[in-house]
Amino acid sequence: MTYAAFRFAALGGTLCATLAMGSHALAAGIPAGTLIENTASASYNTGGPTQVIDSNTVSFQVAELLDVAVASQDASALPITSTTVLTFSVTNTGNGPEPFVLTANPAVSGNDFDVTIDGLAIDSNGNGVYDAGTDVLLANGGTSASLNPDESITVFVLVTAPGGTTDGQTSQVRLLAEADTGTGTPGDVFTGAGEGGVDAVVGSTGADDDDVGSLISSVATVSLVKSVVITDPFGGTQPVPGAIATFTLSATVVGTGSINDLLITDAIPTSTTYAPGTLTLDTNALTDAADTDAGEASASGVAVNLGTVAAGTTHSVTFQVEID
Amino acid sequence: MLNRIFVALSLVLVMQLAVPMAHAQSASAVSLSGDVKVIRTVDENGTARTVLEEPSQVIPGDRLVFTTRYTNSSAEIVEDFVVTNPLPKAVMLAEDGDFEVSVDGGKTFGRFAALSVTLEDGADRPAELADVTHIRWTLATLTPGQQGSVNYFAVIR
Repeated sequence: MTYAAFRFAALGGTLCATLAMGSHALAAGIPAGTLIENTASASYNTGGPTQVIDSNTVSFQVAELLDVAVASQDASALPITSTTVLTFSVTNTGNGPEPFVLTANPAVSGNDFDVTIDGLAIDSNGNGVYDAGTDVLLANGGTSASLNPDESITVFVLVTAPGGTTDGQTSQVRLLAEADTGTGTPGDVFTGAGEGGVDAVVGSTGADDDDVGSLISSVATVSLVKSVVITDPFGGTQPVPGAIATFTLSATVVGTGSINDLLITDAIPTSTTYAPGTLTLDTNALTDAADTDAGEASASGVAVNLGTVAAGTTHSVTFQVEID
Repeated sequence: MLNRIFVALSLVLVMQLAVPMAHAQSASAVSLSGDVKVIRTVDENGTARTVLEEPSQVIPGDRLVFTTRYTNSSAEIVEDFVVTNPLPKAVMLAEDGDFEVSVDGGKTFGRFAALSVTLEDGADRPAELADVTHIRWTLATLTPGQQGSVNYFAVIR
């Protein structure tokens, strides 16, 4: 029995045993268009000098494998107040240069709210951070430049939150990358569409991939509560002429983040007169003049500029009037 | 006299050149024929079946079988018949077989399991399939008219 006969007999069993190895998850593999040539040679003798012969050369080209990987690069849900930028990586896991069609979809099942996609951007300077005016913008559904095998780009998705979201609501945005040559089920062939005219074959990813980035609504809201305490000249609480009314304006910021330029104003009620020098903020006196402190007061009303107020804090403004 | 010696030397040279040339031109006793097929699984009414196909649309990870057929078409017994196949760089040996392999570019051969590779730090590690550079089959004799084939399985890197 020769080796050859043994090998032939073993062929069937060997094939079955190794089927599972058919889909190796090689990163990119041998480049598309590579020519594979195999030539065997033999030496022998027939009693004389050693003879050497070559077989014919069998050759074929490696086809282009279409595969892609998309991965969100945000470590956790991004807080969004009005706009933000989601970050994804798109990697050509095929073996030939390929552009990819990039589409962000804001309508993902389970969303509390759906954002608006303002556009996409490619991280042109490769710093991983969206730089407005530097990174090249791409319309949603646009096509990237050609990526070499194993090349990865960072894709930014620019989004705007809708109005009316409440703090803590969540949303997801899905970025889809599809091989420009085409997508399909693994094994589908685009004849002659590969690099250098070889066939392009849809890989295990279906030549597309997607991933979601997460958002959490970050909304701060302010509530203002006004209360009054009256002290009459007789030790009572009746709103009679000469009684002093102490107004308290309590501003509470809830939610996440902060409120900017929070200005509290109130008019002096008719038939009352502002009691000069009674304006306070968080029990600290403020001058009536428009000066360096936060407040000012006059016969017509009071105004206190709280500036930026973080969520979770409360500020109280008080002033007094005398009932005419 | 000098001329005659020169002529004589030339004749010797011509004769020496002519001998191996004549030898090479004689019909080879053995012929080799190479072939390659890609091994695919097809779904036939829910049953996976393995088929050998022509190597089109071959992608990284695909499995191939390279076959070399030999025929002793002479009337003589062929001895020390050794078939050597350098692996194309783009493929990796998929499994060991009834052959010797080389992991050093064809300088030395041995059974795969017995070979090792020397690392940069001088230490040895057992050879891996990816290290194999050549495959060699040895048949002691081929009888007149004998034919057969040898093959190896490879995966596109």
